[in-house]
Amino acid sequence: MQETIEKVTKVVKKKRAKFTESLIYEIAETVEKRDMDDKELDELVKRVKKAYERARVENGEAVGTVAAQSVGEPGTQMTMRTFHYAGVAELNVTLGLPRLIEIVDARKKISTPTMAIYFEEEFRVDEEFVRTIANQIGKSTMNDIVQDFHTNYAKMNVVVELDMPKIEDKRLNFEDIINRVEKAFKKVQIDNNVLSFEPSKPSIRELRLLADKVRDLQISGVKNIGKVVIRKEEDEWVIHTEGSNLGAVLKMEGVDKVRTTTNDIHEVEKVLGIEAARNSIIHEAQRTMDEQGLTVDVRHIMLVADMMSADGSVKSIGRHGISGEKASVLARASFEETGKHLLRASIRGEIDHLTGIIENIIIGQPIPLGTGSVGVLMKQKK
Amino acid sequence: MVSSKLTRFERARIIGARALQLAMGAKPMVKVSGAMDPIDIATLELKKKVIPLDVRK
Repeated sequence: MQETIEKVTKVVKKKRAKFTESLIYEIAETVEKRDMDDKELDELVKRVKKAYERARVENGEAVGTVAAQSVGEPGTQMTMRTFHYAGVAELNVTLGLPRLIEIVDARKKISTPTMAIYFEEEFRVDEEFVRTIANQIGKSTMNDIVQDFHTNYAKMNVVVELDMPKIEDKRLNFEDIINRVEKAFKKVQIDNNVLSFEPSKPSIRELRLLADKVRDLQISGVKNIGKVVIRKEEDEWVIHTEGSNLGAVLKMEGVDKVRTTTNDIHEVEKVLGIEAARNSIIHEAQRTMDEQGLTVDVRHIMLVADMMSADGSVKSIGRHGISGEKASVLARASFEETGKHLLRASIRGEIDHLTGIIENIIIGQPIPLGTGSVGVLMKQKK
Repeated sequence: MVSSKLTRFERARIIGARALQLAMGAKPMVKVSGAMDPIDIATLELKKKVIPLDVRK
């Protein structure tokens, strides 16, 4: 692969094309897959260069306005409120307009975080392994593994009989469970699979509280992750989760670090960095639109994602993000909270350099866009 | 990628500026045949690359 990449880089240089790293990687991948010879590679690079240049826009083009319209118009076609049940797995995922709003607002707490966990090549088809991991990730409480549960008011204790076959089925470790129980409760007697708990004070109220506490004791699972669903997609097993914890899951053995994802953009930013977050915004927005049967050119979404991540951290679009942090007073004032911005600017003595569009419209000058962005000079006499 | 090719905005701006000069009496840098308006002349001048104007990038 490394050799192919170098070869492609050479050809690209020879053709005087300036491609991004990822584009070169993609070409190299194709070359390997299709087993192309040098002549075919030459032709491929030539064609890609042509397509790449055609996809570029000219300087001065009003890309922002076009992007806003191109995302906005299909947005009006979206169903206002959509609930979606992905497959038979009854995993609820927010989609449609609410999800799109969530993305551009860069919400910290999204309403339905979910993950798709993939596995490395050797574990992909190993159902047993995947099920074991799924049970480690998914949340199980004491309630899921009890055979018999009763509160004895005469003896003032709660007796729990664990269901060994169930534990076996869930691929949990009995010793781990006992350890967790001992850690969480002090007054507990363990006799094989029968546990009896005593309340700290002998009162009926305390006993009942204890019963609930025992029942809800979490015995396995990764933090923030609830239900898990195992699904066979094409030839491999994939785990889908309700709730998300990318950092913890990526540390697990056998998990494919490349393909495993979450739909929580802030988590992607925290764990993998801003570039990954940018890709995540693009991917999530694109997927949301696609799911509704709407097609939007990626470049519009890429522009939105670029604006949101240009500062090095994910910013929302709107009052609390990009629009509210513009350098120009007039640009901010023309958006929202006009009075507040003008007052503050006058108190601080802010200077507006009139470099943007709105500022010049307010002043009544030609705007720096399209023809207006070009300056004309007399040619120097040679 | 810095290309020497003018964008459509630059072309429009140059032709516009040159046409204004011509309309105000500047001498055309190309041979004018028959009835041509300043914009036609400016377009022709640009085609022949004789316009004495530059774009500021």
